[in-house]
Amino acid sequence: MFGELKLLPILALGAALALSLAVGLFSRHRAEQAYGVSRRQSGHASIGAAIASNWMSAASFLGLAGVFYLQGYFAFAYILGWTGGYVLLLVLMAGQIRRFGKYTAPDFVEARYDSSLARICSAVIAILITLIYCVAQYKGIGLIFAWLFGIDYTRALLLGTAVALAYLVIAGSLGATRNQQVHYLTLILCFVIPLMFIAKKLGYSWLLPQLSYGAAVTALPPATASAYIEPWAFCTPYQWIALCFTLMVGTAGLPHVLSRFYTVPNTRDARWGVVWGLFFIGLLYWSAPAFGAFAKAWQAGTGQTVDPAEAGFLADLIVVKTGEWTGIPEILVGLLAVGGILAAFSTITGLLITGAGAFAYDIYYRLINPRASERHLLKVAKGVTLLLALLILAIAVNPPGLIAEITAVAFALAGNTLFPVFLLGIWWDRANKYGAVCGMLSGIALTFAPVLFGHLVPELREWLPPTSSALIGAPLVTLIVIVVSLLTPPPPEQVRRFLVDKVHSP
Amino acid sequence: MHRQPSAEPPNGDLRVNFLRPRPGFMRREVTIIWITLTAWAILTFGFPLYLAFCPQARLPDRTIFGMPMHYWFSGQFLIIWFILVCCAFNLLIDWLTESYRRRRQERVS
Repeated sequence: MFGELKLLPILALGAALALSLAVGLFSRHRAEQAYGVSRRQSGHASIGAAIASNWMSAASFLGLAGVFYLQGYFAFAYILGWTGGYVLLLVLMAGQIRRFGKYTAPDFVEARYDSSLARICSAVIAILITLIYCVAQYKGIGLIFAWLFGIDYTRALLLGTAVALAYLVIAGSLGATRNQQVHYLTLILCFVIPLMFIAKKLGYSWLLPQLSYGAAVTALPPATASAYIEPWAFCTPYQWIALCFTLMVGTAGLPHVLSRFYTVPNTRDARWGVVWGLFFIGLLYWSAPAFGAFAKAWQAGTGQTVDPAEAGFLADLIVVKTGEWTGIPEILVGLLAVGGILAAFSTITGLLITGAGAFAYDIYYRLINPRASERHLLKVAKGVTLLLALLILAIAVNPPGLIAEITAVAFALAGNTLFPVFLLGIWWDRANKYGAVCGMLSGIALTFAPVLFGHLVPELREWLPPTSSALIGAPLVTLIVIVVSLLTPPPPEQVRRFLVDKVHSP
Repeated sequence: MHRQPSAEPPNGDLRVNFLRPRPGFMRREVTIIWITLTAWAILTFGFPLYLAFCPQARLPDRTIFGMPMHYWFSGQFLIIWFILVCCAFNLLIDWLTESYRRRRQERVS
């Protein structure tokens, strides 16, 4: 299924990883030189590129095109959820969170709700999100390594994980930081340049493949086309809206997305950065449907058929496969593979560090060993990183769904737990720790109930699909937080005064 | 009673409530948020509902850039719409913040 070993793309990947380490070292060098002179990021577009590069994972790079390939119009629920969520984030939270001035989700929850228990809950949620999100990334890595080396998925997954960990360790010990702007530029070029060649090869206008794939969609044979274009061929309107809404509130509640706003100089930069970030993410999302459409067009044109089971397995590799099928130069197909790996590696690095940090500082330090020294905590964090990596590996050997679907479960969890807690924490002074803890616990239960008990109670899957549970979950948890808060004493006065004086004043 | 829109609430009032915002800056901010959210929600969720309830809306012969109209609307226009909505929101909030800062400076001096 994966063919033979592909030397040129493997060399390209090695070069790209080495180059990204070199750029990281150079960036650190520059950052050190600028240290003490108040280093400011150089404008809204640059903040936007950082937001976009932080956002773009294997789900955007590989997963989206796969959903388009399999389910046509349904995939727009993913695209709109993952872009529309930024509107929600900007309008309701970005500025206020920047003014609140806490660096991580657990930090914010503890400061706002004045409770260690709430902090621990949010840390557990952050770790669960890391786990689920990374499983999806691992699947992408496994598939691409299988394609690169022509080996089966499980062995490729082991090899990919080893390379990812080695990269993490080398980057960590060299102290290389990631240059977000270079990273974004690399990813978008790796995505769009091969797409242009694919469009040209298939005889469509190559200049703007984001528009010319329309002709490929309408030229599909009627049977394929109607399933591809028809809005409700693969889902009901309820499922579409539920998924879209879940991804939106999830975007606004994901810890690693929110933390981007703490590192910008001020509130106004945070807000305008979002607009640029949305544009940069849009560049990728305008292009992703084209891969699905061109893959379908190629299959229709050559009369090739892929049996459904294999199509389901290949879907997450469709970006690379489209390049290979249409016969563009191998190095360009390699670029697609390199982009997918870079997106997955950077996401894993960021999330594993966040997850391990949440365990070491928010759970281990607070619950297990409050007298631990900084060095000891660092050791715990490193150990937990390795442990998490292995745990994710164990789950990813049998991936429970498409990359985009697995990622969507992480969004559902964020939307059912952290989104209501952040929203009410910012916009309602009366929300207190009892409400927050009850809300987060019920949010976890709501997210995992359909996953664990869906086979026993089919209605649960129907109304709370694992990928889309936040349409019902987020409002319900919001209500739970409100009711429990009203039944218990209000939060301390200094927290409420801080909200009025600092978070909500011009 | 003469109501001054710029009046700051009394110091003892610690109310922060999205549904009942304090008069002054917060009330205007929340108004802008509601307008933005409406513009965002109508097209995002209104359009699939429109497609669900009016099947004639997706006639295949109406195309734009070679794509069926509804396909183009979801795939390309809505992202542009989100960016526009965000720009409008930022311009309004910039204007609001600036006018309140100026007012506060005038009161200080």
